[in-house]
Amino acid sequence: MAVSEQFPVGLKVLVVDDDIPCLKILEQMLRKCMYSVTTCSQATVALNLLRERKGFFDIVLSDVHMPDMDGFKLLELVGLEMDLPVIMMSGDDRTSLVMRGIRHGACDYLIKPIRTEELKNIWQHVVRKRCTVSKDHENSGSLEDNDRHKHGGDDAEYASSVNEEADGILKTLKKRKDSKEEEDTEIENDDPTTAKKPRVVWSVELHQQFVSAVNQLGIDKAVPKRILELMNVPGLTRENVASHLQKFRLYLKRLSGVAQQQGGLPSSFCGPLEQNSKVGSLGRFDIQALAVSGQLAPQTLAALHAELLNRPTSNLVLPGIDQPALLQASVPVSKCITLDQNVAYGQPLMKCPSNISKHFSQTIASAENVHAGIGSWSSKNLVNVLNCSNVAGLGAQNGNMIMGIMQHQQQQQRHQQEQHHKQSVVPESVRTINVQPSCLVVPTHSSVNFQVGNGLASVNQNSSFSGSSVIDYSILSPQSNNSSLGTGKVLDVELKPGIMVSGLSGGGSVSPTSMSTDNGVCMPVQNTASTFVAVRPLPGTVANMSEFHGSYDSTLAKVIGDGPLRSGAFVGRGGTLPSRFAVDEPQLPMMSQGKIFGEDSGSKVKQEPSTNFVENAKVGVPMLPRLAPNDLMSVFSD
Amino acid sequence: MLGFGSERLRLDMNRLLALLFHQGVLDEQFLQLQQLQDESSPNFVSEVVNIYFHESEKLLRNLRGLLMIEGKITVDYKKMGIHLNQLMGSSSSIGAKRVRNVCVAFRAASEQNNRIGCLRALELLEHEYCYLKNKLHELFQIEQQRNLAARVRYPLMHN
Repeated sequence: MAVSEQFPVGLKVLVVDDDIPCLKILEQMLRKCMYSVTTCSQATVALNLLRERKGFFDIVLSDVHMPDMDGFKLLELVGLEMDLPVIMMSGDDRTSLVMRGIRHGACDYLIKPIRTEELKNIWQHVVRKRCTVSKDHENSGSLEDNDRHKHGGDDAEYASSVNEEADGILKTLKKRKDSKEEEDTEIENDDPTTAKKPRVVWSVELHQQFVSAVNQLGIDKAVPKRILELMNVPGLTRENVASHLQKFRLYLKRLSGVAQQQGGLPSSFCGPLEQNSKVGSLGRFDIQALAVSGQLAPQTLAALHAELLNRPTSNLVLPGIDQPALLQASVPVSKCITLDQNVAYGQPLMKCPSNISKHFSQTIASAENVHAGIGSWSSKNLVNVLNCSNVAGLGAQNGNMIMGIMQHQQQQQRHQQEQHHKQSVVPESVRTINVQPSCLVVPTHSSVNFQVGNGLASVNQNSSFSGSSVIDYSILSPQSNNSSLGTGKVLDVELKPGIMVSGLSGGGSVSPTSMSTDNGVCMPVQNTASTFVAVRPLPGTVANMSEFHGSYDSTLAKVIGDGPLRSGAFVGRGGTLPSRFAVDEPQLPMMSQGKIFGEDSGSKVKQEPSTNFVENAKVGVPMLPRLAPNDLMSVFSD
Repeated sequence: MLGFGSERLRLDMNRLLALLFHQGVLDEQFLQLQQLQDESSPNFVSEVVNIYFHESEKLLRNLRGLLMIEGKITVDYKKMGIHLNQLMGSSSSIGAKRVRNVCVAFRAASEQNNRIGCLRALELLEHEYCYLKNKLHELFQIEQQRNLAARVRYPLMHN
């Protein structure tokens, strides 16, 4: 944002406090800070003032205890209606109260007595808010701050509709209105995002309708009025749709922005990160993406979201190796996350605040529902993974279908792992095929062959997608760590365009002859299908290749997207590192609409010497929001 | 001569302030208040403090009313808490440290529904409040005299 030379000067501040001496003092203090101050001793009057002069004030300072209206209520309303940063203040310094303020979305909580020094800085909240709203991601330096802030502010809005419904929090909100007495206890349990509740509840169904309408129209051509007509929902106004559309666009934009910056961006949700390990950032990224998706439309499965959701599953495989136990859980997605964080890299990548986890769980739930097929991560496979450490798994997921829309997402993941120093271990061939097309299910075929013989592993995977022409071409040449002889090749993914039905078939056979080789190959292939009512098959394909060995290999991924993509394409990269630290830095540039979404992700995996397993680091790059129809996306990763 | 008077009054003020700080009646927030006083609002401190007195007396009356109602078995502690929070907020805002501290104790008693404790706290509160009020009035009087003295002096200088 453009900041004028004398920026904080003249910042328009509204102070609301029923305590007149305080009000006087604050007024004077703020004046000293060169702000333009308006004071108000009644919350209701303040609210009217804010409503009348929308856009006039930059920030609001409000007392907590006010006779005519609870400060939290005011905070809630202000957050909802005008989206202004609100600073709460109170002489009461009890933690529970402060917590309540924060949960209601206060951007700061000042305890009386308030000193001038504390007020000098309040302009930062205004800037932060603007930054997040305008999605000014250009400035990556400020991103971290934004993200952190988002939790209480910006993000909350995005999350509001979704989360509320998911948790049935809405009910509590209503209840809250009725019985204020219960407020305290209820609020404690509430998700912070409920502080800002939209008037129109964008339920899953509603959002799905919205998304399908948008898809029908095309994201660029979608205008609120047309969407409204298509949705044909009584009671919904053009304004509701307009604001939702705006958020939706911002969301898409943010996704792409995030993707671009993925490398350096720690997500807000992850607490302490290890800066050093790239894996950490990647892991976070996924999570962030998830969180984001969760917020916007966790339950709705737009193709975009589906992509996001897929990510985690892909991750699953990798971490799975380390901690099998986790894999057994029935929810793949959730596991992925946990695994990712805790296990996969052996380092706690993130600590999620409880709130966040909530989001995840929601998303997860939805993911589950949607992708019934995901179940395909059968325990068997997992077990195999655990036991053998040689696993070839393909999981294809098809994304959600919205209203008879074909979506397809396919994920293929292959895993091959071999234990390092085991003598005669015969890897088992594991084939996991998950095909979950919601509407159309086409048997898919992907055959994966792993051959491990004295260090030679070749994996062939064929996947054919019908409908769209997606071509994934990936070559993997994993090599054994110990013996240089091992070569792994993965070839594959063929797509046959022209067919409406997309199928993935995965077969994996691994025949390792000798145990001396350690190969870890992970190939996550994800296709995201666009959600269109019509059949627009899909699009983005990603081929991942990873090679392990002390040396790394090239991955070639080509993605050709046909038809308009609304969903992003994912490029997943799998890198497996041998026992030593290896760094993979694949770069996948993806071009979509002149933009490059591809990111490099380097992953470092720390391996403990004691472990026999090869860890795989997978990097997924989420892509994009919208591809123009007929766009070809090609991704090359090296 | 007048200049000396002004200087002497300034010293008196400082002495009194030092005493109040020493006794813990006031804290540095009061200095914040003084710093806010400038040409645009020359009587800022006394204005704010007078508003504070006015508001506080209302609150004290309400508090006493809540505790003293004859025959009333239950005391409205919730309401009491609200009054106390407000008194606490404004007291701390002007730097009335001791009043604020008593408010904290008072609130603790009210949270425990301890009527006896509340009564004792109320008495203490009233005492502290009166002491503060007297001392601040004294301070403002000195300040006023000093301003008068200074004002008399300026014309002389100009002439």
